[in-house]
Amino acid sequence: MIRARLYSSLTVLFVLLVWEVAARLIHSVRDVIASPTLILVQYWTGADLYVPHVLATVRSAAFGFVIGASFAVAAAILFCRFPAVEGAFRGVNIALFAMPPIVVGPVLAIVFNGDLPQIILAALVVYFPAMAAALVGLRDIDPRLLDVIRTYGGGSNAVMRFVRLRSALPAILAGLRIAAPLSVLGAILGEFGSGVRWGLGSFLLGSLGDADPARLLGIGFAATAIAMLGYGFFAWIGRRTTGATVAVTIAPDRSPDQVILWTEYSGASRAALFVMAFLLPFLLWWLILQVSHISPIIAPGPMETLHYLTAGPESVDARASLLAALAQTLPLAGLGLVCGLAAAFVVASLTVVRPAVANAILPVAMLLQSMPLVALVPLVMLLFGRDTAASVVMAVLVVFFPAYVMLAQGFALVPHAARELVEVYGGSKSRELALVSIPYAASYLFAAAKLVAPRALLGVMVAEWLLSGRGLGNLLNSSRGLLDYDMVWAGAVISILISVAAYEAVGGIERLLR
Amino acid sequence: MVDEQPFAHPHELADLSIEGVSKTFRTRAQPVQALSSVTLKVKRGSFVALIGPSGCGKSTLLRLVAGLEEPDQGVVLLRNETPRAFRARGELGIAFQDPALLPWRTVRRNVALPLQVLGRKVSAHRERIDDLIELVGLTGYADALPGQLSGGMRQRVAIARALVTNPSMLLLDEPFGALDQILRRSMNQELQRIWMASPTTALMVTHSIDEAAFLADQVVVMNAAPGRIVDKISIPFSRPRGAALFAAPEFHAVCDQLAAALDSGGSR
Repeated sequence: MIRARLYSSLTVLFVLLVWEVAARLIHSVRDVIASPTLILVQYWTGADLYVPHVLATVRSAAFGFVIGASFAVAAAILFCRFPAVEGAFRGVNIALFAMPPIVVGPVLAIVFNGDLPQIILAALVVYFPAMAAALVGLRDIDPRLLDVIRTYGGGSNAVMRFVRLRSALPAILAGLRIAAPLSVLGAILGEFGSGVRWGLGSFLLGSLGDADPARLLGIGFAATAIAMLGYGFFAWIGRRTTGATVAVTIAPDRSPDQVILWTEYSGASRAALFVMAFLLPFLLWWLILQVSHISPIIAPGPMETLHYLTAGPESVDARASLLAALAQTLPLAGLGLVCGLAAAFVVASLTVVRPAVANAILPVAMLLQSMPLVALVPLVMLLFGRDTAASVVMAVLVVFFPAYVMLAQGFALVPHAARELVEVYGGSKSRELALVSIPYAASYLFAAAKLVAPRALLGVMVAEWLLSGRGLGNLLNSSRGLLDYDMVWAGAVISILISVAAYEAVGGIERLLR
Repeated sequence: MVDEQPFAHPHELADLSIEGVSKTFRTRAQPVQALSSVTLKVKRGSFVALIGPSGCGKSTLLRLVAGLEEPDQGVVLLRNETPRAFRARGELGIAFQDPALLPWRTVRRNVALPLQVLGRKVSAHRERIDDLIELVGLTGYADALPGQLSGGMRQRVAIARALVTNPSMLLLDEPFGALDQILRRSMNQELQRIWMASPTTALMVTHSIDEAAFLADQVVVMNAAPGRIVDKISIPFSRPRGAALFAAPEFHAVCDQLAAALDSGGSR
């Protein structure tokens, strides 16, 4: 353990050294990537800028995290106690899982002022992973304990009070560990949308034009550092509170299908829940606007948005610009998804052939998985420019890491005996890979695809918004600038629907092939 | 061979009455009849063991008594009450093969759990809890967590927990099934001592012939497909029964008798 830590510290030092030397001596590198010392120097000289920007983002992320995590745990308890409620909220949960947060930011900025849009977006981004982890933890209890409680006449409330809440604590903390870095991402994406003065998102937007490598990378590292601090804080709490009773496990990311139980329902009640699940998101949208008395001019409801896109005076133009934007965005997102998944599968299958390589990559991937994807934007821009290539690379990057982590877990779960069987008959490693490991891990490919399909769209849209000025990301950004409220809402809804459709499509393909 | 000798304890009242109980589970392949018209009466203060091959429904029968399953046909009554009414008064104690302790609670707080579920004040029963921990031989471990105990010690905690409400009916589902034979024999003696110190009727599921012969006043032999009772055999040995009994010829004779009953049921 200590030796492993020593090795990884030495590796990090070595990488830093090579980076420093290369960035100082090689011209082509120097123009693109600043050396570590240069980045440190600009932190020092730019401290008066960094401090308020960082503080603003930390504040929004922290408030959003507390709100989102509180809702998540409360919802998980409600869903666990009353499974039908969870069935009804399926649509809301999938929408919150799949929504590209960058499209929600402008909508929130229309309705709310000051720090509220960033805080709410951070809360929305935190909700699903925290809820999913808590729900799995609450459900997954020792069935014998259920018998013990029931033998003394205890009902569902007693099981919740004496068993579920405490036994879910490690899972809840693991969920918060994933959610903490996401709250930073949510706050930064919210800053893009609201255009506030302070915050790392605003800092990044303002600095892209100068293209100063040291400053851009500095902002990226600052965002990453905040996210990592959040992750580390909950990892530490998790070890302290649960170390005595339960072994700490790695925190898996989950897609809705890994959480929602549909098998419990059948026939009419299942159909009713389906209808309810579909309608509830729109009903909530309408209800929130009704209750908050916001003018329908800046905040149109579901019917107004449908009218705007289908029958209103601007409907022809609106449809045309949306379709043109989608035609630019969707192919790139699809390409990024396929490339990212394929790369993740190939690298994960190395676990079998070259375990040492995999052992070296997995911790890095876990780390990068919790890195806010906007922190990648400067690096991508400096390396790949501001065009189509940058969009695809962004999509590949946001797809690769979570997919790799999930697939590596899949390969790790291949039964040892099955693998040794091939070995006993003299089969080579590659033979074993083809006969046992790949067929076995293929089921994880779908789980990974469901997890990352919505993220591919988000990756492309972030690149379009910040770098290329094309496609759906740009359409939303420019509509926001032109105060075209109808288009901001319509674009956001369409993006969320496409993300949900992509998620459901992967599930459909999976069912078809099985 | 159905023997109706008087029991070791004085009461002759039926504590548990199972009348024509049937239970079928629906599985994906085909329905499985776990129990077919089972009738059994257990006298107050007696120790009854249910023995049989896996799939004979002995655990299902115990779960029906605990009210954890409902019978398709027939009635289960505990002192003329339904299991649900009976257990709501804390009259039932239960221990499983898996001790099923809450890993975050100390021994003392695990033993107190049934009281909390029943909505009783734990502070009023502190002495009782400490006495039980002493009775099961865990003095000094009251503040230990389950993770710090051995398998046998955890099973003792589960038995103390089963006794904390002063139950009139103690249900034991293969309580020592996960322990090795040496530890199991010493736990059998411990259980006898604990049971004799607390006036309860006990119903134990086991798949060990000598455990049944050593502990029970009456052994109910069951068989599978469909699950049913094939024989009821009284065990004549006086209590307390010592470790020497395991080596006695008359003990082996009883074990042979039980084995024969299990075999003859299987050949039907």
